[in-house]
Amino acid sequence: MGFSRYLLRRLGYALIVLFVIMSFNFAIFRLMPGDATKMIIDPMFTPEAIAELKRQFGLDDPPLVQYFKYVGNLFKFDLGLSFSTRRPVVNELKERLPNTMMLFLTSFTFTTIIGISVGVFTASRRGTFSDNFVTGAGLFTYAVPTFWIQLLLLMLFGYYIPILPIHGTMSAPPPDGFLLQFLDRIHHLILPAGSNVIVAFGSWALYTRNTMLEALGQDYIVTARAKGLPENTVLRHHALRSVLPPIVTLIFGALPGMVSGAVITETIFSWHGVGKYLMDAVMQQDYPAAQGAFYLIALAVVICNLAADIVYGIVDPRIRVGEGGAK
Amino acid sequence: MALLEVRDLKMYYKTLRGHVKAVDSVSFDIERGKALGIAGESGCGKTSMAVTVLRLLPSNGKIHGGSVKLDGVDIVKLDDEEFRKSIRWKKISMVFQGAMNALNPVHRVGDQIVEAILAHEDVSHQEAVTRAEELLDMVGINPKRYKEYPHEFSGGMKQRVVIAMALACNPDVIIADEPTTALDVMVQSQVLKAMEDLRKRLDLSMILITHDLSVIAQTCDNIAIMYAGKIVEYGNVIDVFDHPTHPYGMGLVKSFPNIKAERTRVRSLPGFPPNLLAPPKGCRFHPRCPLAGDICMEEEPELIEIGSNSHKVACHKVDMLERGVDIWEQ
Ligand SMILES: Nc1ncnc2c1ncn2[C@@H]1O[C@H](COP(=O)(O)OP(=O)(O)OP(=O)(O)O)[C@@H](O)[C@H]1O
Ligand SMILES: [Mg+2]
Repeated sequence: MGFSRYLLRRLGYALIVLFVIMSFNFAIFRLMPGDATKMIIDPMFTPEAIAELKRQFGLDDPPLVQYFKYVGNLFKFDLGLSFSTRRPVVNELKERLPNTMMLFLTSFTFTTIIGISVGVFTASRRGTFSDNFVTGAGLFTYAVPTFWIQLLLLMLFGYYIPILPIHGTMSAPPPDGFLLQFLDRIHHLILPAGSNVIVAFGSWALYTRNTMLEALGQDYIVTARAKGLPENTVLRHHALRSVLPPIVTLIFGALPGMVSGAVITETIFSWHGVGKYLMDAVMQQDYPAAQGAFYLIALAVVICNLAADIVYGIVDPRIRVGEGGAK
Repeated sequence: MALLEVRDLKMYYKTLRGHVKAVDSVSFDIERGKALGIAGESGCGKTSMAVTVLRLLPSNGKIHGGSVKLDGVDIVKLDDEEFRKSIRWKKISMVFQGAMNALNPVHRVGDQIVEAILAHEDVSHQEAVTRAEELLDMVGINPKRYKEYPHEFSGGMKQRVVIAMALACNPDVIIADEPTTALDVMVQSQVLKAMEDLRKRLDLSMILITHDLSVIAQTCDNIAIMYAGKIVEYGNVIDVFDHPTHPYGMGLVKSFPNIKAERTRVRSLPGFPPNLLAPPKGCRFHPRCPLAGDICMEEEPELIEIGSNSHKVACHKVDMLERGVDIWEQ
């Protein structure tokens, strides 16, 4: 099978998934207990006012019409007005997205770098105290629930050692000057991003350690040592380099999970991002806002999945071979 | 003084059930430009002996004594860093058993040669590349294939690349562990021939480990026959093949009806190779030896010189054997 056909098929799947999510997204908020119209419609209003409000929010049409309008609007990036703020959801999401991206990218970068480095380190010291200790710690943080560790950190740095902000994306009011603002944001980023790294590095470390140990048992590693290369070069240039493809594949495969994990992290640390927006919207039965945020997160997951599929395709020779052999 | 002098070398693997005495008091010499063949059953410690010389031991393998003198310097005593820099590949290089997997699949073959050169010599990258291309050419591979990956090469070509790589730093000694066993017969002889030509031209010493006595007969000056971690017979190829004297050596050579013509593997002798965790007391071969007497079960025989030409044998019954009794006749 050629690579391009493989890609097309994956793209087709992604579109189907998006369609299902879209429909599901439409239905679920209408099926949830509680009447959302209560949010915007005061029983004291006159019937004319109620009708006018319903019309404004598109709630007077039959469900099927609502659905088609909803789909049509999605394609125009029109996610409707938020019930609670009466502002376009798209605009609100646009404000939130950079914060989420910042948290996500920071967490992701540090998790993979630290996870892989720890894996290489422990593999090179297999069976020693430092291996057992670091591997044990990684296993522990991997095994316990994320929110539990995050709440612990919150308590630790919010109460016992209050050196880190536990709330929000920046101080209010923000400090003057670009540099100070930048540092302030980083200061706020440390705890949420750090907690993500702590809970996630373990699985990368363990996976890297295991694949490294397997690679270190290969003949070409003995050759590399026999050639008199420094141990560091043997580890990084030969062992790590040869196991990087499966690791990279796995990283991309884990992206969707990291995106959805962001909702919990943002909620716990009151991070002003898309995840927290979604949570708040659900709590307030703000349909359009929740739908919009949900859709954005689902879109991110689907895109990450597609990226993972593409990387699989590049890394897995069985898929590449159809493209005319080597390279 | 020989180029490489190995004396009483002992290397044991530590396992849960005790020490595996894979190399037990092994001694031999190699002169510059000469080749020593090492033969023996599977599991007798040939590979272990080779990796002990290069100190490439797995974490449970440890040298328990003896010396390896290269140009008079005991390289067992060098510290790790010095050994890595000044001995590995620069003085002693190795072609590994199962060299099919000796090349890293994610690096270009040429780069893997260049890397060895740059690790030991103070030359520019460009010079190293030029040298790598020459080396590929020497082993009969088009230097244009420098940039290809190992999976683009056939088995025989990979093996040539490995040999080219082993020659990259002009070593004094090259250890080849079953360099051709994984190849088909035609390719085997091509690769062996290429290696022999180069060795002669560069005046290299070689330790050639193989099951195939005919290969040793064709390429080596001396032969050492190992049994259960020890050398039981050692000598000039002609002496040993014409007058194999140790009962085991005799069995081994006799199992090759015609060394020059036939390519067969070592036919197994009756009985089983001993367990190296607890080798038999006395002579390790006694449980399988038709001549074994009381002394053989008690005392370990020394490797002593018989006749001339430094033909050595470790057997208590050597007098009997020198009279030419064919003990494996029946
Ligand atoms: N890492 C290890 N730990 C424990 N025992 C080992 C280890 N490596 C090898 N051995 C044992 O040491 C003995 C010698 O093994 P070695 O690989 O040197 O044999 P060999 O003569 O090269 O055999 P072959 O002809 O099959 O390659 C064998 O009994 C083997 O089981
Ligand atoms: Mg071997």
